Parts: sequence; C-alpha cells; structure tokens
Amino acid sequence: MPDLDLTEFAVDAAMKKGAAYAEARYEHQNAEQFIVKNGVLDALYVGEDQGIGIRVLVKGSLGFAATNLLTKSDVKAAVGDAISIARASRRKTPIRFAQEDAIVADWSVPEKKPLADVPVDEKIAELQGVDKELLGLGYKIAARYFQLSNNRIEKDFANSEGSRIRSYSPRLRVFYFLTLVNDGDVEQTHRNYGWSGGWEGIREWDLTNRVLEEARSMQTSLVQGKKSPEGKMDLVVGPQVAGIASHESCGHPTEADRVLGREASQAGKSFITPESIGTRVGSDLVNVVDDPTLEHAIAYYMYDDEGVRARRRYLYKEGKVHEFLHNRETASALRTRSNAASRAVNYNVEAIVRMANTFVEPKDHSLEELLEDVRFGVYMKSFMEWNIDDKRYNAKYAGRESYLVEDGEIKHPVRNTVIELTTPTFWSAVDAVGKDLEFEAGFCGKSDPGQALDASMGGPSMRLRNVYLR
Amino acid sequence: MEDIAHQIVERAVKLGAQDAVADVVTNRSYQIRFARNEPVISNAWRESTAWVFLVVNRRVLLSDIKDLSKVGPAVERLVKIAKTSQENPEYGGIARGPFRYARTRPDPKVIALDDGADHVEAAIHGALEEGAKECAGSFWKYDERHHLVSSNGVNAEDHRASLYLSIRAMLALESSGHGIACGTKLSQFKPEAAGRKAGRVAALSKDPKPGKPGRYTVVLDPLIFGSVTDNAVGRLSAWVVAAGLSPFGKKIGKRIASPALTLMEDGSADSIGRRKFDAEGVPTRRNVVVRRGILKTYLHNTSTAKRFKAKTTGNAGLVSPEPHAVFVEPGDWTKDEIFSEVKDGLWLTNTWYTRYQSYVTGDFSTIPRDGIFHIRKGEVVEAWKDIRVTDNLIRLLQNVVALSDKTEQMMWWGEVSIPNFVPYALAKDVGITRSAE
Repeated sequence: MPDLDLTEFAVDAAMKKGAAYAEARYEHQNAEQFIVKNGVLDALYVGEDQGIGIRVLVKGSLGFAATNLLTKSDVKAAVGDAISIARASRRKTPIRFAQEDAIVADWSVPEKKPLADVPVDEKIAELQGVDKELLGLGYKIAARYFQLSNNRIEKDFANSEGSRIRSYSPRLRVFYFLTLVNDGDVEQTHRNYGWSGGWEGIREWDLTNRVLEEARSMQTSLVQGKKSPEGKMDLVVGPQVAGIASHESCGHPTEADRVLGREASQAGKSFITPESIGTRVGSDLVNVVDDPTLEHAIAYYMYDDEGVRARRRYLYKEGKVHEFLHNRETASALRTRSNAASRAVNYNVEAIVRMANTFVEPKDHSLEELLEDVRFGVYMKSFMEWNIDDKRYNAKYAGRESYLVEDGEIKHPVRNTVIELTTPTFWSAVDAVGKDLEFEAGFCGKSDPGQALDASMGGPSMRLRNVYLR
Repeated sequence: MEDIAHQIVERAVKLGAQDAVADVVTNRSYQIRFARNEPVISNAWRESTAWVFLVVNRRVLLSDIKDLSKVGPAVERLVKIAKTSQENPEYGGIARGPFRYARTRPDPKVIALDDGADHVEAAIHGALEEGAKECAGSFWKYDERHHLVSSNGVNAEDHRASLYLSIRAMLALESSGHGIACGTKLSQFKPEAAGRKAGRVAALSKDPKPGKPGRYTVVLDPLIFGSVTDNAVGRLSAWVVAAGLSPFGKKIGKRIASPALTLMEDGSADSIGRRKFDAEGVPTRRNVVVRRGILKTYLHNTSTAKRFKAKTTGNAGLVSPEPHAVFVEPGDWTKDEIFSEVKDGLWLTNTWYTRYQSYVTGDFSTIPRDGIFHIRKGEVVEAWKDIRVTDNLIRLLQNVVALSDKTEQMMWWGEVSIPNFVPYALAKDVGITRSAE
C-alpha cells in the first residue's frame, strides 16, 4: 500500500500549478476471476491493480492524467500532464461544476464471510459443483461456460474543496452461458448475478437451483416450444425483461451527459432533451428508479467518484420523465445539483455519468393476477437477444423463456418471441405491475476509453396491453 | 523494462513454473475527447504494467503486476496460488522461440506529437463545412512499448504508435454521419477527410422518414461492413468456437461466405493494430481465414492449435486467440458501379449494438445509425430512420455479391474492435425490421 497522502499531495500540487479545481482518486483493486468451461478450469486470473487519477479544471478546461507509478515524483509528473493538457485545450465555453459541500467520510460494505478469506479453490469448487449438477440433468449441453469474478476495491478520494473520502467495496459476480441442443435445434442463455459484500452472496443467489431451473426451461422450450404468435396481443414480461427495459429505455436516455451530447460519438444521444422533464413516456403506473444505496446491489455506493452523497433517483415517475442522472458538470450546465451519478471503472479513467441499480418500482400484483386477465398473449419471462438505437427510442427484446397464455393460463412454450417497440409504446402499454422484484447484474458500456462498469437492473413482472409481437 | 520481464520469468521458473511469459507494457497514450464542436476533456496516461502468464504442472495463472518495484514477492505469491489451483488438461504449452521479427519502427513524427488540437479542429472544420452543426468524437495518440520474455526462449520488443480520430457529425438528432481517420504515420492521418465524410452523410440524411421493413439489396459503407467482418473474424477464434459462441463450429472447408469474399487476418501488415508478435511472442503473419467464401482456418494460439490438430496462427491471447487486424481482399467494382447496381435498396453507413439470439446459428440483429438512405436506380431518393438489420451472420456473408476496389481502415468504439480494412460491399436480400406502433 503506498503513502495514502498521495491524493492530497496530488491535489495540492495541481492547485499550486494553477488549477481552479483539482481532485485525485487513488484506487487499489484485488481481483480474482476464472472460467470453468465444460467443467474444466480454463485459467485463473489473480491481479492487484493500483494507481491514481488526477482531474483538474484549468481556465474552464478539464485535464485528466493517470499513473500507476506511485512515487511522489511520478505523481507530480502526472499532475503536470493533467495541467498542461488542460491548459492546451482550445475550449471556448468554460466548464463549471455545480456547488457541493466538502465531505469527509469513511465507508465500507460489510462482508459476513470476507472474499479474501475464501480460498480460490473453494470458489472454483463452487462453480464446478453447479456444473456437475447441471450435467446430472442428462440433457445434451453443447457448451457450459461459468465465470466467477470477485473484486475488492479500496478508494481514497480528495479534492481541492476539502473533501476526503475513503471506501472499501467488495464485489462478487457470476456469469454463465449455456448452449443446449436437441434434434439439430439450439437454445442459448446467459445470466448474470452480482453482489456487494462477501462470499455469503453465493448462497443468497441459490445459484445451483437457478441454473438447473434455467436448463430445464431451455430443454422444455427445445422439445415442446412452438412458433410464437404474431400480431397485437397482451404481453406479460418477467423481472429480467422489465430490468433490461428499465436500463436501456429509461436509465440511458436520462443520463444528462448523453442528453447534452457528450457521448454522441460513442454511446449516442437521447430522445429526451433538457426540456423533457414532465413529458409523458409511459402509463401512470410506471415508476423507474436508479438507486445506488440498495444494500448488497452490485453497484452500491455511499458517495460517488466526485464525492457527492448518493441517493435514490426517480427517472420516470408516474409515467413522466422526472429526473436526469447528473454529475457536477452536467448539473451545472442544467442549473441543478448533482445527484451523485459520477463513477469510473478504475483510477485510470475519468468519472462520468452512470447508472447504478436501475429498476421498475414494484406494485402489488402477483404473477397469477397479471396472467389471469390475459385472454390471448405471451408471457416472456426472460430474453436472449436485445438492442436499442443510440437515441434510446427503438428497442428489441427477443424471448428466451416464453409461453403462450390463453384465458389466463400458461399453455406451452413459444420460441423466439420478438418485442420490437418504441420506448413510449412499450411503457405506455403497461397496465399492471407486479410485486416480484428481482435483479440481475450487467456490465454497462460507455465512454472512450470504454468503461464497462458494474450495474444492476431489475423489476417485477409487468403486463402490457395490446402490443405487437412476432 | 527488459530487465523486469526477465526477472519475472526467471523467478517464476526458479519457483517451479514450467511455462512463463511476461509482457511489460509502458503506456504513454494521449487523448482529446470533444463534443458540441469543442474539447470536453484531455486525457494522458503514464502507466507500466507487467502482464504475466505462468503454468505450474498444467495449472494456468494469469496476472498483471502494477508495482514493478516489487516483482519478486509478486511472482512468489502468484506461483504459490498457481500451485493450489487446478490442472487444465486442455493446456497445450507455449511457443518455442527464439523467433526473428520484422524490423518495423514507429513514425518519429507520431511519437513527437504532443498536441492533437489541430487535428481535432481540422476534423470539426471539415464536418461543419459540409453542413453539420454539431460534432463529437475522440482523437487518440496511441503509444505503447512492449517487452516480452518467455521461458521458451522468446525475447522481443515492440514500440507501437499510431494516430486515430473518430468523429460523429450531426445536423440534428436523427441526421448524422460518422468518419474515421487512422494511421501509423502522420502523413497517412487525414482527420479533415474524416470530418468531411461525416459532415456529408449528416447533411444528406436531413429530415429522415421512418423506414419500411422488408428484404433489401443493401450497400454497406466500410464502417458498417467493418462491423460485419469484425464480428465474423472475432468468432473464428478457436477458443470462442469451443465455448459455443460462434456459428463457425465444424465448418472448416465449408462455404460460410460468398465467393466474392476473401478475409485475411494480419497483425504484421501496416495498420494501427500492427504488432511484431502475439502474446506468446510468435511473429504475427498473414492468415487467410476465408478464401473465396470457404473457411480455411480458425485463429490459434499454441494451446488451441494442439487441441484442434493445427498450428498456431500467431494469434495468442494466452487464453483465447484473438485477431489483430482484418483485411478484406478488395473486389473489382468501383464504388459508383456498386451504387448503380441498386435498383431499389438501401445504403447503410454505420451500425451499433449487434447482438445474437444464438451464437451457434448466427441469428442476430444490429441497429443502423447515422445516415440510412433509400436508393433507387443508384441514386439516393430519401433518408430513412428507425430500422434494424435482422438477419443471420452466415446468410449475410453469403449474400455479399460485390466489393469495391479500394479498402479503408476502420475501427470504431464497440462495433469494430480492431482495424478492419474494408471496401464498400453490396449484399442482397438483407432483412430489415422496425419498431411496431
């Protein structure tokens, strides 16, 4: 561990060199990651990463420099880089940051069973145990791919306004991908679970049963699945589909940097404009929330990477655009306050506006109640393929586990049901929201250099009336 | 850095590793991001990392050491962890050196470049002159030094430097174009031309109308065709095939594309992905992966080559083989002839968010972005918006009927992950869908 006063040293050095604002973020990450492919441990990665990133505001221009060389002279050189490239910028419109209080804090995520105390062979055995149970089903599984990663992230943040925040965040994630075949037909799935905390997360997921349930549904779909009906009909979506929709067609379009055009060349812009607050995009029942303060969610944090206290954000409320995700720069541009959405994937990249844990707020229907009122339609429990355009208006979700519903009853599996709808069409069709809130983890991609960041997304089951499916 | 690479490998072997590779990388890259026609941030990096691969009794371990002042204790810890790990019965070793490498050197003018502002302004100026109102993008100076040492006699170094610029020009939210400039030499680097291309497409896509679903003959601009070839060659990694993530399993010697299509993977040729050697130290070379539509080989490292009874193609990735750069053999059509061939079809200029319903079948969809144009009798008659390509990768490759006679180097955020040298392509019967009301 280096001298932790490097953050304050870097901030002081930047201010002495003429910065109007400076911040330094030291990160130390211990990571393990491995893949069990078709039962075999493919490779084990064990890494210890550390470094410091310095961001400065000089005459209205931002400069950022990063180094993993943690002597004072190297850090001073990086500070010099940040100052000189900011000074060389030919920006005409000065960047400003919204006002924030100075924060001094120390926070951490508790671990009942610390990740560091669990030997890696125990972690490998856990996945191989799941894999063995899966093989025991006797299905023809062409490819079995399990990946486990755990990451222990320590941060030390300081800025020139007097903030000093230290944190410790342990994270655990399992991703798996299965390929089942039957009579020349193929079904594939991917699922992703995340946890902030210790090894106890693996028990919270009930991973073995979830994987077995997924494989059984794949086999049923292969053997019994029929063509999905085409036309306008009712649709009940499961939590996984509600989650991806909340992330793609609500979270992303309400990112203020995207709204303001900063991501235009990469992740794109948004159909939402600065004037869209209060505009209707869904039915009154639609509340979509982004909340970094959900305990044990993989994107849990107490303060963001600009030192702003985290809070719940209502992005869509009662079907209307309610709030954008902001960092201090976008908040200033839109004359509001940051709501602590600024995050970076590591020390060596700038913090930008990001979602955390995004979900449809649950209401009170059971799944049975959602289905019982459907005369003819589809229950799409989960999806495989998905995408959305870069203005976040045209989305597609192709079903993985789906069933035909007639007179309120689930009949038989249907294959590859496609939802291809605009964002307002999708959310406006919601006429009932369930109470079975579930989350899955994901990697959210944005920025250049690309930052694939921990996020989670979720929701309860929802019923949509009279939407076109094929 | 050479000393550190040697220290790591020697220490690992002394502690019991049979195979060890250390690639010490010094990164001094620099970037300007811009949006709304001006810089939004400039970034600079001073990083040194040792990427480490070691094998103890077929137990495979990967790591990166960031604190290069303490490599001894770090290697001791890694070997200790490797010894407690599990054997990988599929592990097939690393290549035996020494090797001879090409004597390429980076352009000193690229190395000396310490301010990219003129290039950013040239690109923006070009786009605005063509009619765009708002530009965003990134300028990069990539500058990396590698020193790779392996326990099998490899001792190699490589200084890789290049320039890259990506610009998206917008007339309005739904009227945009994208341009790419890149090169390993300053003289090759044409940011203004990239801006002009983006600006022209943006201006041409003014007032787009909702597109109509159907099956169309489509002209694929190099940027979107680069996405297709990047997807295809990326899924030829032998490891990806074995993981069930490719439609090309068991298809060696079979037709996977039209006879018009020959695809080569080549890390040794001039591109911004050029490198002298792969992650095992094997010299990079030209691999014909698809010849006139027939799949000739997967991409291999030593380990996958052994499993597939083939030879390494110089594409390690120590776990998964990976392509370095893709070259499409140009066709014999001019660009104008390709457009003239379209009686009633589309011209797509870019895409993003390519996702698969099944990697094994290759069923996928992707969303065209930037200029989408309806063509009749070779002429643009209307700009479109809000469509999706919904098709199958192999079917799309087989439906390529013509290629233009010049290629351009494309690489772009997310979609074209490595340099792809691609011409304009004409594909028939491409599936187009759109959102329902």
